[in-house]
This record gives sequence, structure tokens and C-alpha cells, in this order.
Amino acid sequence: MLIIQLILLAGLLAALALTWRRARQDALTRRAALLWSLLWIGGAVVVLRPETANLFANLVGVGRGTDAVLYVAVIVLFYLLFRIFLRLDKLDRDLTKLVRRVALDEHENRK
Amino acid sequence: MKVVAVIPAYNEASRIALVIPRVRSRADEVIVVDDGSLDDTFSVAQASGVRVLRHAINRGQGAALKTGTLCALSIGADVIVHVDADGQHDPDGLLDLIAPITRGEADVVYGSRFMGVESEGMPLMRRCLLMAGRVFSTFALGIPRRFTDPQSGLRAMNAQAARSIQFHQDRKAHCSELLRAASRSSLRVIEIPARVTYTSETLAKGNKTMDALDIAWQLLLGAFQK
Repeated sequence: MLIIQLILLAGLLAALALTWRRARQDALTRRAALLWSLLWIGGAVVVLRPETANLFANLVGVGRGTDAVLYVAVIVLFYLLFRIFLRLDKLDRDLTKLVRRVALDEHENRK
Repeated sequence: MKVVAVIPAYNEASRIALVIPRVRSRADEVIVVDDGSLDDTFSVAQASGVRVLRHAINRGQGAALKTGTLCALSIGADVIVHVDADGQHDPDGLLDLIAPITRGEADVVYGSRFMGVESEGMPLMRRCLLMAGRVFSTFALGIPRRFTDPQSGLRAMNAQAARSIQFHQDRKAHCSELLRAASRSSLRVIEIPARVTYTSETLAKGNKTMDALDIAWQLLLGAFQK
């Protein structure tokens, strides 16, 4: 086994452990934990058996397995980034609701 | 009919004292929402003897307008008018804006800068930007083409419209969101000509070219929110 495979596997294993720890703390739903686990396990399979990426690449019409992994990674990262933007937007809206409530209450109390 | 003017204000201490009396003479009540200003906007507005609400931190013009609108509804407003704090809206035009509502001819009235009354000092760039905004509003948001000025901040609405139109955009995208919601409802929405006066100060604080991208982005994010 190559050193890079060992490093990647250790990282993926740590991610898997962290995912289920967060799920146990109720910070992550069971469904979300399962989806994340699939992602980490899929990554581990590609690290251990790089030829599986070639199978996937041939299936979707991309020349090399490495390219296919890269494309999928970019799509996943963009999706996750957009999710973070949505979450920030939601937090922003919640903050506004709080600020508005305080403003209306203060005005009510001043009368 | 009780007419309440809502003025959102952010760092407007130097101008709001001039705007409030001009608006107050045309409305039964004035509500100023100090949107977390860093200057004396709150105390200057309070000294003018109108209702003043204060956001603890800056949340944007849309957020301040919604706070003011909710307050106006709670004090029994029949007609609510949104007016900018920088004095760019002609106070004489407020009566024209309110008239179709008091006559029962409309539920929401917008003041348009593109219906024959020439705005003073509007730069060509701003004009082009607003025209592009109109095209975007039509094709991306489905706002009917008959609306000549979708980015107008000068609007009046009756209490029923204020209760039924839901807007959640805190910042500059609220204009498009509000008009989109109004135009898709059964409310009667019309535009009338309005005079807007631009000065170097209002231009410095107003929409920039890059804000158009920000507005489009905010609207995109908003489309994914429940």
C-alpha cells in the first residue's frame, strides 16, 4: 500500500468517525449521517481500488478514473458551498427577526 | 383614512431632520426605523417628535421597511407609504401616491421614474442599470412588463395589501421581491409618475453597478428558502 493511500484512508476514517459522533450528539440527522458515510466509504473504495474509478469513468464517458473523481469532487464541493450560502442566508433572516422583535418590543416599552 | 409614512434610515443624521417635517405634513403619522446607524440618526429623529424604532444592528433597507410596516399596522394604519430618508422623493408626490388608494382604485401604488416626469440629476449609468433591472425583472422574476420601474422604493399600500404581501429580503432585493409578490396576488397594483431628485450624496449611498449582481444573488438564495 502506498503512503498516500494510508494518509487518505486515515482521513476518511476520521471523517466517518466524526460523522457518527456528531450524529450521536444529535447535531446531525441519521439520514444525513448515512449520506455522509456513503461519501466517505465511496472515497475509501476508490483509494483502495483505484480501478473502480475507471469503471465509473467508462460508465459516464469520461476518459480516466482520476478525471471522473475530480469532476465529481468539484460538483460535490459546489453543492456543499451553495448549501453553506443557504444556511448563512437563513441565519441572516433569523437574526433580522430577532433584531425586529427587540426593536418593536423596545418601542412598545418606551410608550 | 390614517396614513402612516415609514422611513428607513441608516446614517442619515445630517438629512433626516429636513425630511421628517416635509413627510409629516402629508401623513398622519411618521415612523422612522433607525437601522443600526453609527451616527445620531436615532436622536435626531426622536427630537423631531415622530415614532422612532431602532435596529440594534444594521439589517438593511428591506428589513427596516418591514419593521416599520409591522409597527404601522399595529397602530391602525389604513395606508402605509414607504419613503427614503435621503430626501430624494418629492413629498408633494406622496399625496398623488396615496390618492388612488383612498379613492378605492388601487391597493398598491408605485411611484415610477419612467412615466414622463423627468428625475433630476439621474446619471446615464443609473438609467441604464434600472432599464437592465427591468429586463431582468421581466424575464427572471416574471414581473409583468407593464411595470416601468421595478426598483422603485417609493410605494404606498393599504393595510390589507401590507398584511398579505410577504417580503423577506433584508437588503436591496426587497424591491423586486415585494413587487413580484404584489403583481402575482389579486391586489390591484398600479404605477404613477414620480419625481426623484438625485444629489451627489444620494448617489454616493444609492445602488451601485455591482449591487445588481448582489440583488440577483440574494433573489436566487431567497428562492431556495422556505
